[in-house]
Amino acid sequence: MSEQSIETKSVWLERALFNFRPLWFVMFAVATAFLAWHASMVRPEASFTKMIPTQHEFIQNYFTHQEDLASLGNVVRIAVETTEGDIFTAEFQKTLQEITDEVFFIPGVNRSGLKSVWTPNVRWSEVTEEGFVGGPVIPDNWDASEESLDKLRTNVLRSGEVGNLVANNFKSALIFVPLNEINPDTGEALNYQEFSQKLEENIRDKYQTENVKIHITGFAKVIGDLIEGAYQVGLFFFIAIVITLLMLYWYSRCWRSAFAVLSCSIIAVVWQLGIIKLIGSGINPYSMLVPFLVFAIGVSHGVQIINAISNNRVDGHDKFAATRLAFRSLYIAGLTALISDAIGFTTLMVIDIEVIQELAIAASIGVAVVVLTNLGLLPIIMSYVGISPKGTEYTRKAREQDHPVLTTFSRFSQPKWAYSALVLALVGVTWGLVYSQQLKIGDLDAGAPELRPDSRYNLDNKFIVDNYSSSTDIFVVMAETAPSQCIAYDNLEVMDRFTWHMENTPGVQDVKSVVYVAKMGSFGLNEGNLKWFSLNRNQYVLNANTGRTPPGLINPDCSMVPIIIYLNDHKAETLQTVVASVNAFNQQYQQEGLELLMAAGNSGIEAATNSVIEAAQTKMLLWVYGVVIVLCLITFRSIRTVTCIILPLMLTTIMSQGLMAVLGIGVKVATLPVIALGVGIGVDYGIYIYTKIREGLAQGMHLNDSYKYALDSTGKAVGFTGLTLAIGVATWIFSPIKFQADMGILLTFMFLWNMLGALILIPALARFFARFGKPIH
Amino acid sequence: MIKATAYAGAFVGAAMHALLPAAQADTVTDYEVIYAPAMQATKAPKTVLTEITYAGDRTIAVGDYGVIIFRDSNDQPWQQAEVPTSVLFTSVDFADANQGWAVGHHGVIAATTDGGKTWQRQLDGFEYIQLQKTHFENLVAELTAQQDEFDGSDPDAEEALYVALDNAAFALDMALVAEEEGPTKPFLDVRVLSSQVILAVGAYGSLIRSTDGGASWHIQDNYVENPDGFHFNALAADNDYVYLAGESGQVFRSADQGSTWETLDSPYYGSFFGLHVDAQGNLWIVGLRGNIFMSADQGESFSQIKLEDTVNINAVVDAAAGGVYLVGNAGVIGWVNQQGDIENMTHASGAALTDLITNKDGSLTVVGQRGVIEIPQFSSIQQTTTTKEQ
Repeated sequence: MSEQSIETKSVWLERALFNFRPLWFVMFAVATAFLAWHASMVRPEASFTKMIPTQHEFIQNYFTHQEDLASLGNVVRIAVETTEGDIFTAEFQKTLQEITDEVFFIPGVNRSGLKSVWTPNVRWSEVTEEGFVGGPVIPDNWDASEESLDKLRTNVLRSGEVGNLVANNFKSALIFVPLNEINPDTGEALNYQEFSQKLEENIRDKYQTENVKIHITGFAKVIGDLIEGAYQVGLFFFIAIVITLLMLYWYSRCWRSAFAVLSCSIIAVVWQLGIIKLIGSGINPYSMLVPFLVFAIGVSHGVQIINAISNNRVDGHDKFAATRLAFRSLYIAGLTALISDAIGFTTLMVIDIEVIQELAIAASIGVAVVVLTNLGLLPIIMSYVGISPKGTEYTRKAREQDHPVLTTFSRFSQPKWAYSALVLALVGVTWGLVYSQQLKIGDLDAGAPELRPDSRYNLDNKFIVDNYSSSTDIFVVMAETAPSQCIAYDNLEVMDRFTWHMENTPGVQDVKSVVYVAKMGSFGLNEGNLKWFSLNRNQYVLNANTGRTPPGLINPDCSMVPIIIYLNDHKAETLQTVVASVNAFNQQYQQEGLELLMAAGNSGIEAATNSVIEAAQTKMLLWVYGVVIVLCLITFRSIRTVTCIILPLMLTTIMSQGLMAVLGIGVKVATLPVIALGVGIGVDYGIYIYTKIREGLAQGMHLNDSYKYALDSTGKAVGFTGLTLAIGVATWIFSPIKFQADMGILLTFMFLWNMLGALILIPALARFFARFGKPIH
Repeated sequence: MIKATAYAGAFVGAAMHALLPAAQADTVTDYEVIYAPAMQATKAPKTVLTEITYAGDRTIAVGDYGVIIFRDSNDQPWQQAEVPTSVLFTSVDFADANQGWAVGHHGVIAATTDGGKTWQRQLDGFEYIQLQKTHFENLVAELTAQQDEFDGSDPDAEEALYVALDNAAFALDMALVAEEEGPTKPFLDVRVLSSQVILAVGAYGSLIRSTDGGASWHIQDNYVENPDGFHFNALAADNDYVYLAGESGQVFRSADQGSTWETLDSPYYGSFFGLHVDAQGNLWIVGLRGNIFMSADQGESFSQIKLEDTVNINAVVDAAAGGVYLVGNAGVIGWVNQQGDIENMTHASGAALTDLITNKDGSLTVVGQRGVIEIPQFSSIQQTTTTKEQ
C-alpha cells in the first residue's frame, strides 16, 4: 500500500492528527508541563463532610446542631497500660503524671477539658453530716509513699472513675483529651495529621517501654493514620508502574514502545490530577483509586495500538504508515470503549455522597484524558520512534505459531466446551446468588472501619473498649425543645422513658444524657441516698440537680440536649435496629414541644450513609447496566449480541457480590462504586471481542473460525489488558487503609473475571444461540 | 384528678390493648410516669435496684422504671413482674408468700396478691395529695375548734395546740401547692406489719398507714415529732415496737403499730438510711459516714461500730454465719460478727449498694446502682480494711 492510498482512505480526524505532528507534539508538551505544575499541588485530604450523604434527613438534623455537638465527639483517648502489677505504684503514677503534662502542651488540646487522674478537675466526693466534701483524686500531700498510694486507691473508688479514667482491672489509666477544632489563639483549623504525629513522637515513642504500653484512639488519630496511609499509596503507584513496564516489555519485546505506552499513560494521570486541581476538586482516599485506573486504562488501550502497529510493521509498512493504519483501525473501537467507560462512571453521580461523586468526576475526566494521550499522543510518538526491529521480529515469530491465548480460549466456541462453560457459569451464578443473600450493608469490622482490623489503631481501640466501660460506636439522638425548655420536667420524663426504651434495644450498651445527670444530681444532693435516683416534678429541684451538667450535654439556649447511645458495634443490623427502635418510640410517644431527632455521632452518620447506600445500590446497578446496554444496542443493533456481552458482566457482578459476602466486605462508600467501575471497564472486552467475531461472521466464516479470528486480532490484547488492569489495582490490596484494600480485592477480581468471562462466555453464548436460535447474522 | 382520670382511661385502653398483641401500640400524647405501665425489659436486672426481699422462697427486687423482678431460687433467671407504673420503687415488703407492697416516687404504692407476679396501684401521688389536703383541712378545722374552747387555764396546752395548728396549716399549704405542682414526694420505705397493717414513710416526714390491707390509706405525719419536716428513711419492727429513722439522726419508736410515736435519744446527728432487727433481737441503725449503731435494748441505748471507710451505709441483714452483713455506697460490703468485729470489703464496681439478701446456699445477692450483683461468698470480695469495735 503506497503513501498515497493511505492518505485517500483516511478520515479527517486522522489527517488532523498526522499532518500536523510537530504542532500537536508541542501542544501536548505545553499542556503536560502546565498540568504537571498543578498536579504537583494536589494533596490527599480526608474531608469528613464529603464522606457523608449531606442531603439525608439525619445529616441535615446533625448539621442544624453541629455547633452544639462539636464539643461532644472530638476527643482523643490515651490509655497508659502497665504490664506489671497494677497502676497503684509510684513508678507508674510518675509516668502517668509526665504523660499528662506532656499532652497538656500539645497544640490543639482543650486544656481545661483535659482529664486524667493527675488533673485537678478529677475529684472524689462524699457526703458528710454537713454536706459534700471532696478533693482532687491525687491526695494533697502526695509523696509517692505506700500511704499516698493507698489514699489514691480509695479516692479513685470514690471518684466514680473506675471504667472511665481507670480501667476496670486497674492495669491501665486513661487520659481524656478533648480537642479544639479551631485554635482559640490563632483561629487556625486543627491539623489532624500534625496532631497525630505529635502524639506519636511526644507520647508513644517517648514513653512506651517494656512495662508501659501506650494506646491511643480518637477521630483525630484515625484521620492522621488515614492520611499517613494515603501517602503509602504513592509507593504502590511506583510498584504498579514497574510491573506494568515489565509486562509491556514481555508483551512487545520492544523497550521503545513499552516506554512510549508507559509515558503516555503517566501523562494521562498527570493531566487527570492537574485538571482535578484546576476545577477545584480534590483527591481523597477513595478517589485515589482513579489514577491507578486511568493509568491501567491508558496502558490497555496503548497496548492495542502497539499491537496493531507491530502487526502492520510485520505486514511491511514503514513506521509512519504502520502507525496511521493502526490508528485508523482502532480509533472507533477505542472511542466507543472509552466513551462507555466514561458514561459508566458518570452513573455514579446518582449517589448523593460527595466522595463518590468526586470519584466519578475524576474517573470520567481520566478516561477522557486517555482518549487524548493514548489515541492522540501515543500514535504521534510511535510514528517518530517506531517499533524496534527486535519487537517487530518477535511479533512476526509470534504470528507464525499459535498464541497461548488462542489455543486456550478458541475451544470455547465448540459445543462441548461451550456448554460445559455455560453450566459452570450457571453454577457460578447460583453460588453468587446464594452468598450474595448474606451481603451486608455498611462496615462490618469493629473499631475504625477505615483501617484494617489488625492495624495498630484498631488494636488500641480494642484495648480501650475491652478495659473501659465505653464504646466507640456512638449514636446520638437530638432532643429538640423550645428554648429554655430542654430540662423541663415533662420533657425530661419522656427522655427518661426513651433512655430506658433504648437501653433495652438489642445492640445498645448504655444511654447517657442530661437525664442521667439529673438523676445522679438528685442522688448526690440527697446525701448520696440512691433511693432518690429519680427525676423530680419540681422544676427548681430539677434545675439544682442538673447544675453540674458537663458542657455539651445542654446547648447554650437550652433548646437541644443530645442523648448519647453507646452501641456494641456499628454493623448495619445494629444500626437498623436502633433506628427502628427510635422510630417506634417516636410513633408511640408524642410529646408536644419535644422532638427526638436522629442522628449524630459516628454511628448515627453511618446509619444515614447505610440507608443511602442501600437505596443507591439497586439504582446504581440499574443505571450502569441501562447505560451499557443502550450503548451496546446502539453499536451492535442486536438484542442477541447485547445479551452475549451483558450476561458475562452480570455473572461477574453477581459473583463479586458473593465474594464480598464471603470475604466479609460490606457494601459501603468505598465498595459501591467498584461494581460500576467493574461493569464500565468490563464491557470494553466484550465490545472488542464481539466486534471481531461479527466481522468474521460477516466475511462468511463459521463461528469457530470467527472466534479464532477475534482472538488472533484482539483476544491477545484483551488478555493482556485484563492482566494489566488487575495488576494496577492489585497493589491496593496491601494498603494499610482497609477500604482501599477492599476496593483492590474487588477490582482485581472483577477485571480478571470480566476478562475470562469475555474470552470464555461470549463464544459459548454465541454457540448456544447459534444452536438453539436462528443462525447469527 | 382530671389528669388522673384521663390516665386511668388511657390505662384501660392500654390494658385492652394487651389483649390484642397484634395491634399497633397506642400513641401516648401526654406521658405520665405514674400511669405508664413498666416496660418489659431485658436489662431489668441491670437497672438501679433499691431493695430486695423474700416472699416465701421467692426473691423479689424493685427499682427504677417500675421494675420489679423475681425468681424462686438463685439458680433461675429473673422474671419481670407486670407493673402498672414506671416510677422508681424505693422499697418492698411482704406479709406472706403472696401479699406484698412496694412504694416509690411520685407517691406510688403498689400491691400484689400473687407473690409479686402482678401488681396493682393502690395509691398514686395525685390521690395522695388529695388525702393530704383533706387530712390537713380536717386537722386544721379540728384544732381551730379546740383552740376556740381554750379559756387560758392551761397555757402549755394552748401553746402546744398553737404549734400543732401552725404545723397543720403549713402542711395544708404544702398540699395546696402540690395540687398545682403535682406529686413530688417519694416514699422511701415500706413495712408490712400484717396483711392488714402497712406503714410507709418518705420525704419531708411523710408517714402513711393502712389498717385494711391497703384499701384505704391514712396520713399520720402529725403523730411524729418532726417540726422541721426531715425525711423519714427507714422502718423496722420487732414484737413490741415499730422503729422509724431518718434525716439528721432522728429515731422514733411506736408501741401501737404506728398510731403514736415516741422520740428516742439519737446516738448521732447525721442521717440514718437503714434499720434492722436481727435474729437476737438487736436493733441496728446505720447511716452517713460509716456510722453503725447497735442497740440490745430496743433503742434505749446504742453502741457504735465505726467503719474506717467513711461512706454511707444503707442496709443491714442477718449473716449466714452469725452477726450481720451490711452494704453501703462505693461498693462497701461489711460483716459484723457476733463479737462485734467488723470486716470490711469493697466490691470492685464501686457502685452504691442499697440492699442484700443471703441465699440458701450462703451466697449473697446484692442490689444497688448497677442492679443485681451476685457474690458467691463474703470472703470472695476483695478485702480492704478491718476495724475493731470502739
